Amino acid sequence: MSIIEVKHLYKEFKIPKRQEGLAGALRSLFHRQYLTKLAVNDISFSIDSGEMVGYIGPNGAGKSTTIKMLTGILVPSSGDIRVNGLIPYKERQRNARQIGVVFGQRSQLWWDLPTIESFELLKQVFQIPADRYRQNMVRFRKILDLDEFLHTPVRQLSLGQRMRADIAAALLHDPKIIFLDEPTIGLDVVAKERMRSFIREINQDRGVTVILTTHDMSDIEKLCQRMILIDNGQVMYDGELAKIKETFGKTRILIVDLEEDIVDFSLAGVEVIKQEGNRHWLKFNRDTITASQLISRISENYNVRDISIQDPEIEVLIRNIYENTLPLIID
Amino acid sequence: MIKTYRMYWEFTRKSFQRSAAYRVDSWSRVLGNVMSLGIWGCIWFALYYGKGSVENISFHSMLSYILISMALQGIHNAGTPLWEIQRRVRTGDIAIELLRPYDYPLRMLFTDLGSMSFYFITAIFPLYTLIFIFFQPNIPLSASQWGLFLLSAVLGYLIRYSLELTFGLFTFWLVETGGVEDIFYFSISLFSGSVVPLWFFPDWLASIASLLPFQGIYFVPNAIFVGELSGQAILPALLNQVIWLLICYGLLRFVWAKASQKVVVQGG
Repeated sequence: MSIIEVKHLYKEFKIPKRQEGLAGALRSLFHRQYLTKLAVNDISFSIDSGEMVGYIGPNGAGKSTTIKMLTGILVPSSGDIRVNGLIPYKERQRNARQIGVVFGQRSQLWWDLPTIESFELLKQVFQIPADRYRQNMVRFRKILDLDEFLHTPVRQLSLGQRMRADIAAALLHDPKIIFLDEPTIGLDVVAKERMRSFIREINQDRGVTVILTTHDMSDIEKLCQRMILIDNGQVMYDGELAKIKETFGKTRILIVDLEEDIVDFSLAGVEVIKQEGNRHWLKFNRDTITASQLISRISENYNVRDISIQDPEIEVLIRNIYENTLPLIID
Repeated sequence: MIKTYRMYWEFTRKSFQRSAAYRVDSWSRVLGNVMSLGIWGCIWFALYYGKGSVENISFHSMLSYILISMALQGIHNAGTPLWEIQRRVRTGDIAIELLRPYDYPLRMLFTDLGSMSFYFITAIFPLYTLIFIFFQPNIPLSASQWGLFLLSAVLGYLIRYSLELTFGLFTFWLVETGGVEDIFYFSISLFSGSVVPLWFFPDWLASIASLLPFQGIYFVPNAIFVGELSGQAILPALLNQVIWLLICYGLLRFVWAKASQKVVVQGG
């Protein structure tokens, strides 16, 4: 059963057009021209209860705008949105009770007070029954290791601690849906992994529907079965992650630093996409040649100083799809 | 209903606690308030020098006026919703407020109640008790005068609050609100009678002031306190405050309804 329903959603922004120079600045005081930017351009999708969906796209693709409309803080220009039966922008406060939101880049905790105080405030704000609050706190303290900083003022927390506190804060009132806007941004590897396992747990154990935006490919890989990919305000792909990886994730990039200066470096089955001094970027396809084969072939012929492999980044993947207009083929 | 009230009350408590975490701020505010009191005391002393009374107001009454005015201003200044809302809109933190099942203007009022009461208890009240003992100004002599003063002061606070929040909300449209801020603070410092009582205004300025909501903020409660406004004259003054409060609150609700539909969250 679908819990989120989005139909033909549009959002336009009017941006004042800056005119150049002093004369332009003066002119714009009296007569302003506006540019219309279509941030969301006819987006439709539906998400079932209990799903975990990656909402992906490059910067400025319209991800955050969509999330803001789903949470009710932005009013759509046109189109329909239903979040568990509610129209978010019309019933913002009621919608707030059934959703949880985490913004990786801003905190919802009270900066100056010990972390626990923010939780207690939220208990009142969402009118969480005392026993429910206690149960949730016991659980979150355990899996998110909140105890080490529960009495520390939020401003003194490390980023990893703050994120853990923030996600606990977003889940305290048992929301049916949680929106995570770049929940792992800026975290170190260990903290990232911890965050992911927590997200997985709340999705599996509690059946919370998760909508996740991120730029981190491994976030999606480890968390989402389904991915909605958008660019320029439109859905480019909506489907299984496995499928997209199979189709687009085959190419890898090998970066080699050679000892000597070689101008026309070339190998069969490999495309040199960039060169800077002794460093070469080689694009290869996993199906035609394995990384180890490639490396041994290079080291047979050249003196290699250093070597590394780049995963296809999500942005590259998206660009690929966009440029090749491939979504039609997959669907 | 009771639960809703308890929720807002929780903000008052938390904000009281937060103020306690910044005691030095509280003391530096007191210092600023005392300096301002000193300056205005000296100015009025100089203006009255060699005169018994001006426009039938004795120096003693004027001194009393400025003392109670500064005490009230000290309380008012503990909550600055204009800056608060400006900061939230600029940083985009307003998004968090809109994602909560409460009414933002109301929660701001209750939050400021917390910092205000902390500041009142720890600074304004002890300080002004000492000052009042030292200068022996006119103070209300009857329980009813005290009651009317308190009522008028609360109305004044709510008027200022509604107006200040409304001005703050213009940030939603303007982002940069230095100009709007100046208009607000200028109007309040002139028309509210915060440092110059309205009875000293030239007629034309007094008639402008009487048509504006600002006089209800400081002038009316101050005048009741020092006894210049008494008897029959109090009722219309209070009525005027109530009407202005209703208008300002209505305006605030209207602007808030418009503003919250027009959110542009800064920074993604």
